[in-house]
Amino acid sequence: MDDRNVIDSPKEHACPEPNELIHVDCASHTYPDGSIGIHDLCFRVREHEIIAICGANGSGKSTLLEHLNGLLLPSNGSISVLGKRVDARTKKGLWREVGIVFQRSDDQLFAPTVLDDVMFGPLNMGMSRDDARKNAMESLMAVGAEGLVSKIPSYLSGGQKRLVSIAGILAMKPKIIAMDEPTSDLDPAHAELIENIICELKNKYGISIVIATHDLDLASRIADRVCIVKDGSIIAEGSPSEVFYDAKLLAGVGLREPNIVHIYQEFCRRWGRELIGRPVTTEELMGYLLGA
Amino acid sequence: MTRSQASGHIPDLDLITYYSENGRSTLSMVSPWTKLTALIAIIVFLTTVQSVELLVALYALVLMLYWRCDLPLKKLFDWSSLPVLFVLSLVIILMWREPGMPLFSLDAPWVSLTLTDNGLLLVTRLLLKALISMTSSLLFLMTTRYAHLFAMIDRIFPSPINQIFLMSYRFLFITLGMVNSMIRAFKSRGGGFIKSMSRQSQTFAEIFALVFIRSYDRAERISKSMESRGYSGTYKTATEVQPMRSIEYAFLLTLFSIAAYMLLLHSSLI
Repeated sequence: MDDRNVIDSPKEHACPEPNELIHVDCASHTYPDGSIGIHDLCFRVREHEIIAICGANGSGKSTLLEHLNGLLLPSNGSISVLGKRVDARTKKGLWREVGIVFQRSDDQLFAPTVLDDVMFGPLNMGMSRDDARKNAMESLMAVGAEGLVSKIPSYLSGGQKRLVSIAGILAMKPKIIAMDEPTSDLDPAHAELIENIICELKNKYGISIVIATHDLDLASRIADRVCIVKDGSIIAEGSPSEVFYDAKLLAGVGLREPNIVHIYQEFCRRWGRELIGRPVTTEELMGYLLGA
Repeated sequence: MTRSQASGHIPDLDLITYYSENGRSTLSMVSPWTKLTALIAIIVFLTTVQSVELLVALYALVLMLYWRCDLPLKKLFDWSSLPVLFVLSLVIILMWREPGMPLFSLDAPWVSLTLTDNGLLLVTRLLLKALISMTSSLLFLMTTRYAHLFAMIDRIFPSPINQIFLMSYRFLFITLGMVNSMIRAFKSRGGGFIKSMSRQSQTFAEIFALVFIRSYDRAERISKSMESRGYSGTYKTATEVQPMRSIEYAFLLTLFSIAAYMLLLHSSLI
């Protein structure tokens, strides 16, 4: 792996970029019990991109996401969202711009019906009931869950709950959506559906998506940029093809390369070929294999 | 929809919700406000009436309605055992102290107990009142959609009492689900058989302690997810409750009139 391809996390106080939505500048967070959530972490979210925050369990991914929505404030460093620095005063309105889809949908869905739950955010934004209902219906249709409107959330399947959770955030029309392990505990069909929805949120609605995941296969398929987190800090950053071909880096953080990367590397090793490219999706892999 | 329960005698909230969501009986189509008013009328009736005949008639009526709504009668009788035990535990001493015509005496060297007709009536009356309250409440819950119940709580109670009700009602389901899953896990590893009272008590104490801790943990997570969507202490329900129709007003008026007439008639007979 060429080290130049993986950009180390910047430690200097970098200047905001014009198309930047979120700028996390050397932020640290220590929990009341003394454990460190994130440490000296620098991170940017730009317009119309999907970023995968990859790391092992307990590496600080979820803590980072909670900072983006204002649920947590950094102990040191700063976070700016849409050009505004987040502090105890400004964090109150942050939920309008940055939505969070939590890992456990059961914690997110509490209302008596799916429609009530999806309308919860829009009503908190001050929308009228009619507007909130319209928004909620549009969001449910966008994720293909319009048939669940009158269902009780706790009786839905895991995949349906995840769809409703996403609809609940989409109904608030945020500019950025942070998703914590969006496909964990889902069957392959629902995982694929969620994956397609994430891509559609970016392509059709222009929403920037931040995904916290340890599923590198998912990250390799949909992410524009990948950040590797270890002990609360981003230790590497780059495109999937840059990051996922660094076996030493991945092994160091307790992750394993995506299947596509593994297959391609095995193919080249067994057939005595040189790694002439870095495929990370099935289409790219097929292109290289057929070419070979 | 329903999960295995810790005990067949505890009302199964999942089953209750299943019937309330999927019921197609006439009572399911009636406005929840009408049913609530009728339920309140029944409770008021129970607190004032002492006639066993009227209570039997009312219980028969409620049972018939329950049966006509295709609700599970066998389950109802299973669930009735707890209120019956509760009433019996309360009146087991009182019933021997009622003055009246002696029916049965129990003589012991240190005490003499006599059951009178009034003592027997007291037991019957209290049992009927408990069973009518339970059956009519279940009838209301099993024919009223969860969302409507939620919206009614929101409309009836002032804030923050309505917020507490709204959150705790949902939490009841979650907590019971948690207790059930823990008991299943406990049984799956050979637990559940009474080996010794002290061991059994210790195990149940551990289960309840865990439920408390997990509930607290879960409440924190739910609160966090609500905050992330702008919750600031007030939750407004979005569901509209179907209003009462004129025919329902007429029905309630008739019901109240019959009840008042029967009460007056009965008091004049006494």
